[in-house]
Amino acid sequence: MHRWLRRAAGLGLSGCALAAVLIPGPAASGLARRVASGGEIVVGAEQEPDCADWIASCAGSSWGVFTMQEQTMPRVFDVVARGRQWVYTPSLLMAGPPVLSTDGGTQVVRYPLNPRAVWSDGAPITSTDFRYTWDQIAHGTDIFDRTGYDRIASVDDSDPHTAVVTFRTSFAGWRQLFGGVYGIYPSHLLQGRDRDNAMKDGYSWSGGPFKVQAWDKGVDVVLVPNPAYWGPRPKASKITFKFLTDTAAEFQAFQGGEINAAYPAPEPDAVRSIKAGLTDASSLVNADTGNIEGLWMNNAVFPLDSVAVRQAIAYSIDRNAIVRLLFGPLGVSGPSNSLNPPILAPYSDQHAFAGYHLDLAKVRQLMTGDGWQRVGGLWQKNGRTAQLTIVSTAADKRRELTEQVLQAQLRRAGFALTVQNRDANTLFGQILPAGSYQLGLYAGVATDLDPGLCTVFCSSNIPTAANGHSGSNYTRTSIPALDPLLQQVDTDNNDATRVQASKAADRILAAQQVALPIDPLPNIAIWSKRVSGVRGDNPVYGMFWNLSQWQLQ
Amino acid sequence: MLNLVGRRALYSVPVILIASFLTFAFVRATFDPTAKLRQSRESASAIRAERVRLGLNKPLVDQYGSWLGRFLRGDWGTSERTHEAVTAQIGRALGNTTQLVVWGVLVAAVIAVGIGVYSALRQYSLLDYTFTGLTFLGLALPPFWFGLIAIEFLAVGPKQWFHLSDPPLFFIGLHSGGGGILDYARHLVLPVMTLTVQIVAGWSRYQRSSMLDVMSSGYIRTARAKGVPRRRVVLRHGLRNALVPLVTVMALDIGALFGGLIITEKIFSVPGMGKLFIDSLLAGDATTLTAWLVVTAAFIVAFNLLADVAYGWLDPRVRVA
Repeated sequence: MHRWLRRAAGLGLSGCALAAVLIPGPAASGLARRVASGGEIVVGAEQEPDCADWIASCAGSSWGVFTMQEQTMPRVFDVVARGRQWVYTPSLLMAGPPVLSTDGGTQVVRYPLNPRAVWSDGAPITSTDFRYTWDQIAHGTDIFDRTGYDRIASVDDSDPHTAVVTFRTSFAGWRQLFGGVYGIYPSHLLQGRDRDNAMKDGYSWSGGPFKVQAWDKGVDVVLVPNPAYWGPRPKASKITFKFLTDTAAEFQAFQGGEINAAYPAPEPDAVRSIKAGLTDASSLVNADTGNIEGLWMNNAVFPLDSVAVRQAIAYSIDRNAIVRLLFGPLGVSGPSNSLNPPILAPYSDQHAFAGYHLDLAKVRQLMTGDGWQRVGGLWQKNGRTAQLTIVSTAADKRRELTEQVLQAQLRRAGFALTVQNRDANTLFGQILPAGSYQLGLYAGVATDLDPGLCTVFCSSNIPTAANGHSGSNYTRTSIPALDPLLQQVDTDNNDATRVQASKAADRILAAQQVALPIDPLPNIAIWSKRVSGVRGDNPVYGMFWNLSQWQLQ
Repeated sequence: MLNLVGRRALYSVPVILIASFLTFAFVRATFDPTAKLRQSRESASAIRAERVRLGLNKPLVDQYGSWLGRFLRGDWGTSERTHEAVTAQIGRALGNTTQLVVWGVLVAAVIAVGIGVYSALRQYSLLDYTFTGLTFLGLALPPFWFGLIAIEFLAVGPKQWFHLSDPPLFFIGLHSGGGGILDYARHLVLPVMTLTVQIVAGWSRYQRSSMLDVMSSGYIRTARAKGVPRRRVVLRHGLRNALVPLVTVMALDIGALFGGLIITEKIFSVPGMGKLFIDSLLAGDATTLTAWLVVTAAFIVAFNLLADVAYGWLDPRVRVA
């Protein structure tokens, strides 16, 4: 036989053998091994949490909540839908609803604990865990957010089944405490130890339906059922969150069956992929979220220190067009008209900013009334041109697209806009606190059902050199009539008057145009038809709020 | 030979020191290590204390000196993003990237040398033109596009077309939990293929050009005239000399690969050095960035040194010079 024929035959045989080994048949057990029918579900996670110490400054990551926190940390309240509204409801940790008392002007909350509630090692969840959690957040170092916990005077744990929390000053948002994106910590395991060191790389204990079996950094997090959980047992035998940071690759992984579900951020790539169609999959889009993307204005720098200029900028922007461009294919078309996100609708005037729409005649009227003249296409006043810079997070395609649209719209109205995006750490840790910006494009995110705009708009929270630039009022809003209203929202336990104050504050914010809400950031969920149990989206806990009920058909 | 290695190693030290200083200075000027504390509304006193702890109140040269001393002792600091030791982060990332680089370079070297030698020996043949066309195509293809197309046509597509339970090739990470060697191989194929396409394209052109040069030399003609078997002429006399320039190019490219696989790692979700760099950059993690940049600079310098040594081994004339 000719040598080349022998070689070709040899190569051909080798190729067939390789193909037989590599290519699985329809009944092959590959997927069964990787995502076993009846129990093992793989979910794509777009971001890996930086750490697993949920109260530290390295936390604050939504995917940290989705992958580990909400499945393992016990909490006082769940967030559930009642009709069209989201409400707090006592979780399985509670024997009954917490009782609020304001007798004698002191706010006290009593938490009756479920005697069946235990940690994964069998130790009961007690009031001492409440005390430990409060102590860590209120008095620890490098804590992400102490809001509310710093108003607690004491936690009485003399009765292990009842935690009695006494507040130093009134705090209306008490329902978000000992829950939310923090949870309650096991004092018997962490007392006397370095909590951050013990938790940041993952932890094996749990007070929820799942526990963390493994966190392979950069690869995945694996959850397995917590055998000691006193509530409904999870149906899946294993949940794996695989970290897939590239949206296009994530959708390919979904189409290829490498993952069974995904919760992609509403980026242009994701919108395009959904519009193109998904096979054998279900999807949902939820615009009723805790997120709101806005154009935040530094009220203390020229030319934004003028209300007229801020209003003129608002009238220069066609927010409907931006929302249609970004989320039109998902069926989201209307802009946000309140600086409170959609889940806080009961507390907000949902039409506060509705009057701001594209109106170039109004822009002219406002600017000329403020002493500006249009020269060479741009507004000028006292030799200074209306040149603006905008900052946002780098490498975010949705925001870059929004900035491009804003540049065009503002240019038409007579404003020049330059983009200067930076990394998130520098943006939120340096530029915004230092006030070295004019316009900022970023999202406000509510992680609970309590309004808290005082943090970002009360004048006492303006970051200054005196407070080490540690306040969060980055817009430098200082409106005398606004402060008492927002402070009342934070402290008034009468919901009716609280709502009135919040709506009044909304109207002042709109009238003074301190910032401009642009779009609600919708949540997108996709899952294979083989996965049952997915029941909608939750504004705090995402599509994973009932992960324990998911199973593979 | 030892003299050569010693001299080259000595020259590398000041290069790495200068690179590390510039890296340190630029990162310090760009990122604030205490920015994260301000994000979490930490108290002003806590931020001040952190600045003192990090030595940020000292002159830059003093800061660099302290940092260098700790770096050489193996203390590369703690990541502001994850609170994890930077050595652990970089060690883990380097392990993953090394796997991609080793397999990619091996496959690319074999293919590139093979193509280069064949094209030189069969210059202007049909296959030579085919290889030339393919190499130019390889050079022109953006790696991110090729990676996604490869996933579509070699993984997702076959699974759907043939109703398979699994894609024939996997494209997330380097392994499935608990998978064996076959699972590892199925994970490696696509990222290695994406990596090698561009490398092979460049290296094969170098090899072809170098081989053509060598095969037209007088001593090759002499060897052929003396009746030395063709295979021995090509492999022992021709290829060895033709490899010299390619080895230099390979060494430079390999050194850069350890920090340059950002796109490949992102598409295939490999937690390597490229992904670590992007994550640290976008988070403003100054401590990790500084160490990362110094490590990758050291790799480039080290592989340059390796190229010089290999050059000397392949060409004895260089050792004596």
